[in-house]
This record gives sequence, C-alpha cells and structure tokens, in this order.
Amino acid sequence: MQAWYICEAPYPFIDRAVIDAHGSARANLPSRYCDPRRAADIFHEVLDEFLLCDELGINVISNEHHSGINCLHSASPLFLGILARQTRNVRILSLGTLITVRDDPVRVAEEYATADVISRGRLDIGFVKSGGSEMASGNANPVGINERFWEAIDLIEAALRHRDGPFSWEGRHFHHRHANVWPSCWQNPHPPFWAATGDPETGRELGRRGYVHTVFASGAERTIRAWDAYREGSSEMGRSAALDRFAYMGFTYVGETDEEAWEVARQLLWFLEVGDIAAPHYSSLLPGQIPPEVAPKLYRAAQAADEVAHAGRPPQGRTPMTVQDAIARGIMFAGNPDTVRRQIADFHAKVGGFGHLVLMGRSGMMTHAQTETSIRLFGREVLPRLQELAPRLVA
Amino acid sequence: MLVLHGLQSFNADSVFLGALAERGLAFAAPALPGFGGTPRPEQFDGVEDLVMSCLDLIDDLGPEPIALVGLSFGGWIAAEIAVRCPHRLERLVLVDALGIRVNSRETPDILHLFNEPAPVVAHATWAAPAHAPDFAAMPDEAVVTYARNREALCRYGWRPYMHNPRLKRWLHRISVPTLVLWGDQDGIVSPDYGRAYADAIPGARFELVGNAGHHPEIEQPQLLAAAIAAFLTQAQRREVA
Repeated sequence: MQAWYICEAPYPFIDRAVIDAHGSARANLPSRYCDPRRAADIFHEVLDEFLLCDELGINVISNEHHSGINCLHSASPLFLGILARQTRNVRILSLGTLITVRDDPVRVAEEYATADVISRGRLDIGFVKSGGSEMASGNANPVGINERFWEAIDLIEAALRHRDGPFSWEGRHFHHRHANVWPSCWQNPHPPFWAATGDPETGRELGRRGYVHTVFASGAERTIRAWDAYREGSSEMGRSAALDRFAYMGFTYVGETDEEAWEVARQLLWFLEVGDIAAPHYSSLLPGQIPPEVAPKLYRAAQAADEVAHAGRPPQGRTPMTVQDAIARGIMFAGNPDTVRRQIADFHAKVGGFGHLVLMGRSGMMTHAQTETSIRLFGREVLPRLQELAPRLVA
Repeated sequence: MLVLHGLQSFNADSVFLGALAERGLAFAAPALPGFGGTPRPEQFDGVEDLVMSCLDLIDDLGPEPIALVGLSFGGWIAAEIAVRCPHRLERLVLVDALGIRVNSRETPDILHLFNEPAPVVAHATWAAPAHAPDFAAMPDEAVVTYARNREALCRYGWRPYMHNPRLKRWLHRISVPTLVLWGDQDGIVSPDYGRAYADAIPGARFELVGNAGHHPEIEQPQLLAAAIAAFLTQAQRREVA
C-alpha cells in the first residue's frame, strides 16, 4: 500500500464570531483578516512537513482551494513547482487544480508538464470539481460543471499526449487552436491520472477511464457504493479494477499513546466544523449544486434559518462530532501506532481493500511539532506494517 | 403581442396576464426554453439560443409586425430581438430589463442573484417584502419549478453576468416606439439604469411604476397592464406613478 500525506495549510486564527458574521469561512471573508506573516509561517511549516514525508517514504499531495481559511494553497501548480525541486524521492500528486474554474486547460497542462519534468517523472495528476464557494470566487458558472470538468480533462490529456506540434481543439467549452505544450512531460504518454469524488455517476466514468478513484472521509458504506460504481465502469470497458485504482482519505493522527493522539486529533475536526462553513448561497441554494427536486426541503430550511437570524435568535448549530464518533464512522484514524494500524486494517477489510491511503494530517490549531510527531510515527511504525494487508472481497 | 417573462416563468394564475387579457389584448406568453418546466434543448446554453428561438416563434405568429413586451431577463431578450429585427416589431415595452452595461468596470449594474445572501436579494427585489415567495406555503411542485427557473437563469446569464457587452451599442437600431417601465424601488437594477437604457433607444419614453421593485408584474399588476395597454393602443398617456 502507498501512503500519501496532505495538508491544506488552513488558517485557523479567525474568531468564530467573524466567520459567523460573514456566514462563510470561504468566498466572502475579507483578506484583511489574513496576516501574511502568519500565512508565511504556515507555508514554511507545511513545506517542511512535506520534506519530512519525503525522507520517510510517504508520498505528498498538493491541492488547492480559493478565497478561504480552509486552505491557503490557492494554486496547486505553484506548490508542485516547489515540491518537484525540494523533494527527491517520493511521488507528488496534485489533487488538484480546480479545472472547472480555469479558463484554459492547456495552461494547466503546461504547468503539470513542467512539474513532471522538474521532478524527473514523479508527478501524478488528480482532477477535482470545485465547490460552490469556488464558483463564486472563480467566476465560473456553477451550472453544467460536469460537462466542463470532463472536457477540461480531455483537453489536458490531449495537450500532454500530443508531441507532434500544434493541434487544434474546438470543443463546447474550450477553444484553443494552437496547443503545443513545452516542455513535453517526462512520463509517457503522461503522468498517472487520479480524481476525487463521492458521486457514483462520476465514479462510474472514472472506472471507464481507469483513473485512480479517491474517496474523501466518507465512511465504509458510501465508500463501498462509490467504488462499486467504479467497478461497474471498469467492467463496461472489459477490465477489472485493481486495488491500486482505489484511494481512501481519512483524517489521521498518530501519537505515542491513544489518549495523547485523541486529544490532538480533536483539532483535525476543525476541517469539518469551521473550515467547511459555506453560506447557503454558496452551497445549497446555488444553482447546479443540488438537483431541483430537493429544492423544497433546502429552500424551506434556508428560509426558516433566515427568519431565525432576522429575529435575532442564535442559529441552531450542529452537534460537533467527537473523535470517537469520527473513528467509529471510519473517517478518522487516530491513536498510538498499533491502534491506528488496527483501525486502518479494519477499514481496509470492510471496504474490500484499497491501494492508497491518504492522510489528512494537520488541521485547526495543530502545531508543526505535533504534526511532525505524527508523520514520524506513521512513517516508521505504521506504514511498514500496512504492506501485509490483504484485500478481502466484499459480499 | 408576445410577452417574455422575467427571472421566473409566469404562474398559470398570473394576475398581470389576466389584467392584460381583461384589457382586450391578445398575446402569447410562453415559458422560455428551460423555464416553467419546459425542456431545454441540450445544446442551449446562452441567451443567443433564446433570442433565436423567440425569432422562430415570432415567425410562427405570422407576417404582421407584433408588439413585444419583455420583463427583466425577458427584457434583455426583447432588446436583443429588437436590434436584430426591428421590422418585425410594431412596438416595444421593456420592464426593469437586464441586458446592458452602464456603469464603470468596478460598479456592478445588476445585483448578483446567486452570489448574494437570500435576504439581501429579497430586500433588493421587493418594494413590499410580503410579495416575496413563501416556500413554506408553496406546493412542492412550485418550489421545484422555481429552482429549475433559477438553474436556467444561471446557465444562460452567469457570464458576462446578465448582460451582453455588445448590446448597448446597437440599441440605436431600435426604430419602433418604445416604452421603458421601471419599478421605482428596484434594487436589482436601479431606475437610473432604466433611464440609461431608454436614453440609448431613439425616442424611447421612460416611466416609473410606483411602489414596485424588480417585479412590477407582481407588485403592481394592474398599473403595469394599464400602462402597457395605454401605450399599445396609443391611448392618452398618463403617469403610472
């Protein structure tokens, strides 16, 4: 099994009251709340964590989000450039550039080809759709993103594959008459492709295409459903899907003792409790994000919430998830090295196996020192013992 | 006469359409493709498609010039039709129409219906908040249609946001008598935007509709129908406010 480390470089230093006043941790929070000196510290710490992973044989993942405190990495290719040069050993996955908000996929292909060459062929390329808040901050139409997503991928693939001079693309969403990417990418025809989605329809298409399918913190039931859809897609193409086509991302913290790990792991849930807060007009009320058939429920809920706010009453909060809940649901692996290995083995068996484990390893107010402790323990005491995991067929 | 709806398709029991009919006006008020539960042809993704499908419809109505009335988003389409085929029109009425760009590049003309919180949009939309849709009181089917309409609107109008950067410079081609009506409390597109619209159309007359926001057809249906009927029948002009 391959292990991959991801940290989104969150910026947790904003009072909850400020976030609540804006209704969102993304898209509309004024950047005057960001102290660039603190942001620089976070960037340097996270890059150092990636370099520690490089020493320990844990592959690294660069991603991006926009205009929010959940993730300061605003442009995945920029960090790929740094990682391609500063790491020496491990593979680097971009998961990914938000291609549905980029106007020219050929430019994305150029950036990826460049990172692949600098890293001497250590790049993997992942595709993700954007969330609703990013449609606003990226000025991208939230309606019809699926179609734009696949055409962008097709154009990136073509731009990386073509090596015989300019080719022309006149698609429905993208138009580029003279695409000719230099440098050509190191890997031939191109780096391995990944995608992250929980949506079964998208998963089925990933199966047809044979990309690595990453499921993010969804628990066993939804993960099985997503990967079943993938396998259906593979079968349609007359293939069976090997375990290296499946990746699972869980919040992960390894400590010396269970108690210490669970205490720190509490911070990982900041990702869900704070980093994920998006106002209804960036999520449930944004066209294209939900099928109109579920509008009665969502529109009425939003209207009721507005009435509560208008009356000056506090909003009904969600009950925060506990670390133990998160572990029980299979979205978090936390504890001492033995405990974490057992949790991962259990989950691995429950879902029928997977070839890649993605560790969401730092969030909230976790310190750099705590993060490095976890990475070291994982790399030295957990990862070597994951290689013995055998897949079990799911009934 | 052809009436093009605004942000939402007309309800079957539209008071405004009833008021037009009561005044003896014969009209078609179709849902635009993708609105009101109608199917959207798979390739339709821009206002140009709606304009061309409306031109087909006008051809179907017969060879005689017609009166064209467009509200809000439908006003944008009406203006696009008018600059292309003024000879097919007898008269043009624009009501709180979208479609052009007036202010500087850092001053949005048109409130963002999708990127602003619902209470902000509602406050800008209605002169009287009681006119806002109450989703709790609407049947499920009506809420689904409302959401579909928003989806269609977003698909067609997201970028450039609810306007065609080229349209304003061609408004001079509109050679038929034109009336521009505007809710005096419209916070989605201001009355000043409406005045600029009217100024760009040769000979166009601008009138405010009192106590109405962006949807005079809902907040002042009788006044609006009366103003349109008066203009179309060349009855004595009177102030609407």
